[in-house]
Amino acid sequence: MALPLRYNWRNLFVRKLSTMLTFIVVAAVVLVLSVLLSFAAGIRASLAVSGCPENVIVLKPGATSESTSVIFPDEVNRIVQAPGIARDASGRLLVSQELCVQATLPRRDNPGAVANVAVRGVDDIGFELHKGVRLVEGRRFRPGALEVVVGKAAHDRYAGLGLGDEVLLGRLRNRRFKVVGVFESGGSALESEIWAPRTSVADSYLRVFCSSALIRLADAGLVPAAIAYINGPAVNLDAKRETDYYKDLSTKTREIVVLTTILVGIMAVGAAFAVANTMYAAVDGRRREIAMLRTIGFSRGAIVVAFLVESLLICTAACLFGLLLSLLIHGSRQDYLSDATWTVLAFELKVTPTTMLVSLSLAAFVALAGALAPAVRASKTNVIEALRKA
Amino acid sequence: MLRLIYLRNNLIRNRLRTLLTCAAVALPIMIYVLSMAVVDGVERFLDNSARQLRLAVTHKTSLVNPLPEGYRRKIESLDPERKGITSVCGMRWLGGKIANDPRPLQTMAIDADTFVATFPEYRLTPEEVAAWQRDRQALVVGRATAAQFGWKVGDRVTIRGSVPPYAPMEFHIISTAERAEDPITLGCRRDYLEEKLKECGYPYGLVSFFFVKCATKADVDRYRVAIDQLFARSPDETRTQDEKAFMSEFVTQQFDLPRRLTILAAVTVFVAVMAAANTMSMNFRDRISEIATLKSMGFGGTFVFTQIQAESLLLCLVGGAVGAWVPYFAFTWTPLKDYTVPVIQVLLIRPAVCMQALVISLLIGIVAAVWPSWAALRLKVVAAMRSLE
Repeated sequence: MALPLRYNWRNLFVRKLSTMLTFIVVAAVVLVLSVLLSFAAGIRASLAVSGCPENVIVLKPGATSESTSVIFPDEVNRIVQAPGIARDASGRLLVSQELCVQATLPRRDNPGAVANVAVRGVDDIGFELHKGVRLVEGRRFRPGALEVVVGKAAHDRYAGLGLGDEVLLGRLRNRRFKVVGVFESGGSALESEIWAPRTSVADSYLRVFCSSALIRLADAGLVPAAIAYINGPAVNLDAKRETDYYKDLSTKTREIVVLTTILVGIMAVGAAFAVANTMYAAVDGRRREIAMLRTIGFSRGAIVVAFLVESLLICTAACLFGLLLSLLIHGSRQDYLSDATWTVLAFELKVTPTTMLVSLSLAAFVALAGALAPAVRASKTNVIEALRKA
Repeated sequence: MLRLIYLRNNLIRNRLRTLLTCAAVALPIMIYVLSMAVVDGVERFLDNSARQLRLAVTHKTSLVNPLPEGYRRKIESLDPERKGITSVCGMRWLGGKIANDPRPLQTMAIDADTFVATFPEYRLTPEEVAAWQRDRQALVVGRATAAQFGWKVGDRVTIRGSVPPYAPMEFHIISTAERAEDPITLGCRRDYLEEKLKECGYPYGLVSFFFVKCATKADVDRYRVAIDQLFARSPDETRTQDEKAFMSEFVTQQFDLPRRLTILAAVTVFVAVMAAANTMSMNFRDRISEIATLKSMGFGGTFVFTQIQAESLLLCLVGGAVGAWVPYFAFTWTPLKDYTVPVIQVLLIRPAVCMQALVISLLIGIVAAVWPSWAALRLKVVAAMRSLE
């Protein structure tokens, strides 16, 4: 027969200070874990929804991102020969030449600091290829005008990007572009960008050639053939799925995850030691009580379970508290400078269900690892000896 | 003597608890040491930049806009006698990868004639300098990068740049810069890149930034303003900063690592305090009757107070020493020493950081024992004895 849960619960309050200190230790570890994981989750979420499976992005071989790539017009002429390119309703080939440059803009929350924001020059057709892009305020820019639409994340984080504001762009920062719209794209990386007509960008940045070409295939099944064609001798450029391109950009996330795992692992082991310490003290302080329980018929197993449950109670409560604290940062916007594109990528910190599950299992691990040895020791209490001491 | 024996016996009377507490302090201290080593690395990196008395000249509107290479002559003409400006060196970022390997390289194409004078911290030997000047395809590889790729002096490597001309370029490794401050960057000659750019039909004669080595601190301040004035109202205006300011912009933009790691270090220290405080309060509770007895025998409040403090200090100091030594050992003597970290490159754990960790563990010891030792000091003997069974 197991001991009633109520027994464990009330025992926690016998040693209030110890319980509280252990609680704080575990809560702090969970807090660190969930914050670090939510960083990784935020970046991953933003890059995961970027890109569309039927799209293929074409860069110059060797270039690591759109911003370091250059594509010549004759190369574009060869790209459009690729098999399987889809057409829109009016019969235009779905090929978007894009020009990626950057602008240095002050941050909204800290005007002293600046950020390198990506500026993408696109033609009207670009809106067709980037499927998720949807204007939430204002209108699209007119072709060839000095007008921009800005991503929602950029609009929120950088100063001077409100609807109707004028923003200075161009190689010499001397062209006034008017913000005429704000777009959303389901939280993808594009939301950190500023979009302007390609010709205006080319002119303002003295750039003759475009950076990349995006093509849409009629069907996701046609993608491998198109990639093979473009990578082959016919075009000799570097094509990859748009989704893969963004996946490659997220290498930094993997670094964070690795670092997180190491740091949190060390901390978790430390916390397990702290829990073990508390539980040993609890066992030592209750020898007589345990002997009494054994006398009135509770089995060794029941005693082990009782201590494990007690430890689980503290750690789970601490974990929930830690998660609650981490929810405070949920949804806050952060950004980082991608080392591949050299532009900032804004993302939202996300405390995902996975993060919660991982935190809970970490807390459970800490609770069990810390309490197992003390619980076994408790179950081995010599009944007669312990009772005689009374 | 009595105190020491008592202290020792106190620590070994519950060996398990002592051990667990040491571990619970050691592990957070380990994280503290690791994260502060990164912060320290960033600071050392920036300090080196400051010590070198260099100015970084970039395009005014954005780092990614190149400057004409002819600006070098104009900057040099500010000081024809070379009293204030020792040398000017243009650089162009090439990045790059080798074939069939996803690891990115940090290659810079550098003005061959002024590289050695402008960057003395590379500490090239006279033979290496001679090889650098003789061979247009010379490549200086940082020692950590060389170790990662298994390269040695004399090897030929083919690197494909991430920017124009995107073409594979063959280099001859002439040095692995064993004594350089920067163990990552690869340096090649800019004249070789120029030749390749012309061959492939890309725009040439452009540099990403100039580094201007100055003679004194006063010159740094003077030319910082003078260079920008020189190019004011020209098609390509410049932004000149001292090298430390230039570099710290990079560092803070990349995740603002120093600030975040400092927060992490603070949290872990907090965790260690809680773990140690838990032990000390448990010890105190177990020993209330003993402390009351000691007091009734005539040992003063100070005795019990210092005894508890000393126990806590020793406990945390041992934990801290272990926590500081393990990463120090791992990153100084094992293969981990070539592990590269973003931004700061190689994780070097300096004894200073370990000392800092020891001081922190002492503080943890003091804070952890505050409540128990204070309670022991104020313990009412009569009341405590009365509650004895």
